[in-house]
Amino acid sequence: MIAPSLVKIAFSALLANKLRSGLTLLGVMIGVTSVMTIISALEGMMGGIEAQLARLGPATFVATTIGGVVTSEEQWFEMLKRKPLKLKAVKYIEEGCDLCEKVCPRVYTRTLMKYGNKSLRRVMVGGSTFNLIDIVDIEVAQGRFHSREDDLHRRQVAFIGEQLRETFFEGVDPLNKVIRIGGKRYTVIGVAKKQGSMFGQNQDNFVLIPISAYVKQFGQPKRNMNVTIKARSVKELDEAMDQVRMVLRSKRHVPYDKPDDFSMLTADNILETFNAITRMFRLTLIGISSISLVVGGIVVMNIMMVSVTERTREIGIRKSVGAKQKHILIQFLFEALMTTTSGGIVGIVLGFLIAKSLVGLIDMEISPSTFAIVAGLFISTGTGIIFGIYPAMKAARLDPIKALSYE
Amino acid sequence: MALIETHNLWKTYEMGAEKVHALREVSITIEKGEYVAIIGPSGSGKSTLMNLIGCLDTPTQGEYLLNGKKVSQMNDDELANIRNREIGFVFQTFNLLARATAFHNVELPLIYNGSPAIERREKAELALRKVELSDRMYHKPTELSGGQRQRVALARALVNDPALLLADEPTGNLDSKTSLEIIDLFEELHRQGNTIIIVTHERDIATRAHRVLSILDGRIATDERMSKDSVRAY
Repeated sequence: MIAPSLVKIAFSALLANKLRSGLTLLGVMIGVTSVMTIISALEGMMGGIEAQLARLGPATFVATTIGGVVTSEEQWFEMLKRKPLKLKAVKYIEEGCDLCEKVCPRVYTRTLMKYGNKSLRRVMVGGSTFNLIDIVDIEVAQGRFHSREDDLHRRQVAFIGEQLRETFFEGVDPLNKVIRIGGKRYTVIGVAKKQGSMFGQNQDNFVLIPISAYVKQFGQPKRNMNVTIKARSVKELDEAMDQVRMVLRSKRHVPYDKPDDFSMLTADNILETFNAITRMFRLTLIGISSISLVVGGIVVMNIMMVSVTERTREIGIRKSVGAKQKHILIQFLFEALMTTTSGGIVGIVLGFLIAKSLVGLIDMEISPSTFAIVAGLFISTGTGIIFGIYPAMKAARLDPIKALSYE
Repeated sequence: MALIETHNLWKTYEMGAEKVHALREVSITIEKGEYVAIIGPSGSGKSTLMNLIGCLDTPTQGEYLLNGKKVSQMNDDELANIRNREIGFVFQTFNLLARATAFHNVELPLIYNGSPAIERREKAELALRKVELSDRMYHKPTELSGGQRQRVALARALVNDPALLLADEPTGNLDSKTSLEIIDLFEELHRQGNTIIIVTHERDIATRAHRVLSILDGRIATDERMSKDSVRAY
C-alpha cells in the first residue's frame, strides 16, 4: 500500500518544519476556536432556554393579550389596540373548556419588599390562583403554596423564592415571618426550591401571592395578565386550545371573519418565536466568526504555496524516481489536512472552554455538543482540503525537468 | 530486441516566435548490456537527449521505444511508471532528499511502486551493500562525503533493478580521486550485466565506456566503439 507511506512522508515533512507547521496550525486553530466559541455558546443558551420553557410542561399553554411572533408594524399596533384579558376569562374558560384540567391567571408587577431593616427594590411579585403549583414546575422546599382558602379569603400570604429567603432570612426560619410587599404586610408561608439563573437574571427572586390579595393591593390586572392552562393530556392539547379559542372569541365578540384579538402560546411556539427572533443575530455571529476561519484558510494556503515552491527540487526528485501526480498531490494534501485537522481539534477544545467561561458569566452551564464537535472537525478538514488542494495540485503538476533544475 | 530504439527524434522548443531545435532526427539503437557515453559541448543537446531517454520528457516528433514499449506518446503518469521500473537516474548534483536518511532515499522508488515495507527494507539494504555503504545507512546526506552521496544515489538507481542506468555528469561535482572510484563502480556494475548510459563532457570519462556517441548541434555527430584493448590500456 502506498497511502500509509505517503502519510508518513507528509508527517515527517511537518515535523521537519515545526515552526511553519505550528503557524499553520495556529491559523486554523484561531479560526476554529472563534467559530466553536460562538456555536457552543449559542447552543448552550438555546439549551438553557429550552430547559426553562420545559418548566411550563408539554400540555400547558398560555392565553395572553399580547404575544407571539410579530412580523410587521401593523401587527404590533393591532396588538396594542387589543382589549386586555380580564380575570373573568378564567371563569369562562373553566366553564367552556372541558379538555382543560387547570386554568390559572397570572399577573406580575415589581415592587419594594421589606423585612426588618432590610429592603429590596423591584422584586417580582406574582399573583396567581392556588393551582399554579400544579401547572408549572415550581417545587416547595419549605412550608406550602397558598391554598384555595387563601385565595377565597384574600389572605395576605407569600410564597417566596430561594434568593429572597437568603437575602431576608439568612439563618432564620422564614415561616410565619411578616414581610412588607409594597407597604402591605404578608405572612411567609412557603419557600420555593432553587431554580438557578438565566442570562444573569436570578430566577429565585420572586414572591407569589394569592391573586385576590394581588387585585386588592394593585388593582385589576391590565395587559400584564395571562391565563396559563393545562390540557388534560398532550394529545388533547390542540383540541383544548381550540376550545379556549372558541370561548374567548365568543365572549370577546370577535366577528367570525376577523382574526383572534388575543394570543395563544405553547412552550413549543414560544421557543419558535425566540428562535425566529434570534436567528439573524445567531447567523450574523457565526458569519463574523467565520471570517477568521477564512483568514486561517488563507494562512494555510499561503504557507503551503511557500512550502511547495521551497520544495520544488524535492518534488522533482520524487517524480524522477517514479512518483505519479496523485502521489505528490496526496502527500501535500495530507500535510495540509494533518495541520488543519489538528488545529481544528485544538480549536474545538479551546472554543468549548472559552464558550463555557463566557456562558458562565451569565450563570449558565454548557456541555460539549456533538453538533459543535462534528461541525468543528468538518470545518477544519474542509479548510485543509479547500485551501490545500490548489498548492498540492500545483506541486503535482510540476514538470520534473524544471523541478530538478530549480535552485 | 534492442533496449533503446529511437527513430528520427526531434525536440523543438518555442522561444517566443523563434523555434529552437534542441534535437534533430536522432536515431540511435542501444542494446541490452551496453556501456555507452554520450558526449558533447554544453548546448549541444545532450541533456535534452538524456531527458528523453530517461522518460522525463517526450519528443516533439519521432518515436522512442524502450524495452519494446513505445514511450514517445505516453502521458505523465505512464512516464512516471516507466521511470520507476525501467530507469535508474544518477545526477551530477546527487539529488538526494536532504532531510531523509540514506536508507529512506534508497527505498523511495520502491515506495512509489507500492512495495511492502519488508521488501523495501531487503532491497534497499542490498543496494546499499552493493555500493559499500551498509554502515552509513542511517546517515543523512549532509553527514556524508560527496563520493558517499553519489553512491547513495547509485544505490537508489539500482534498488528497483532497472533496465537502464542513466547517469548525467555523475562525476561533475566530485574530486578526481572520488570520480575514479565512482567510474570504477560503474564499470563493476556494467560487468554485472547492467546497461549504462553516461552523459558527460569529460573525454577521459567517456573513453572508459565501450561506445561513445558525440552530439553536436542536436545531431549525432559520431558513434565510435572502443576496442576492449583501448579500454584496458587507458
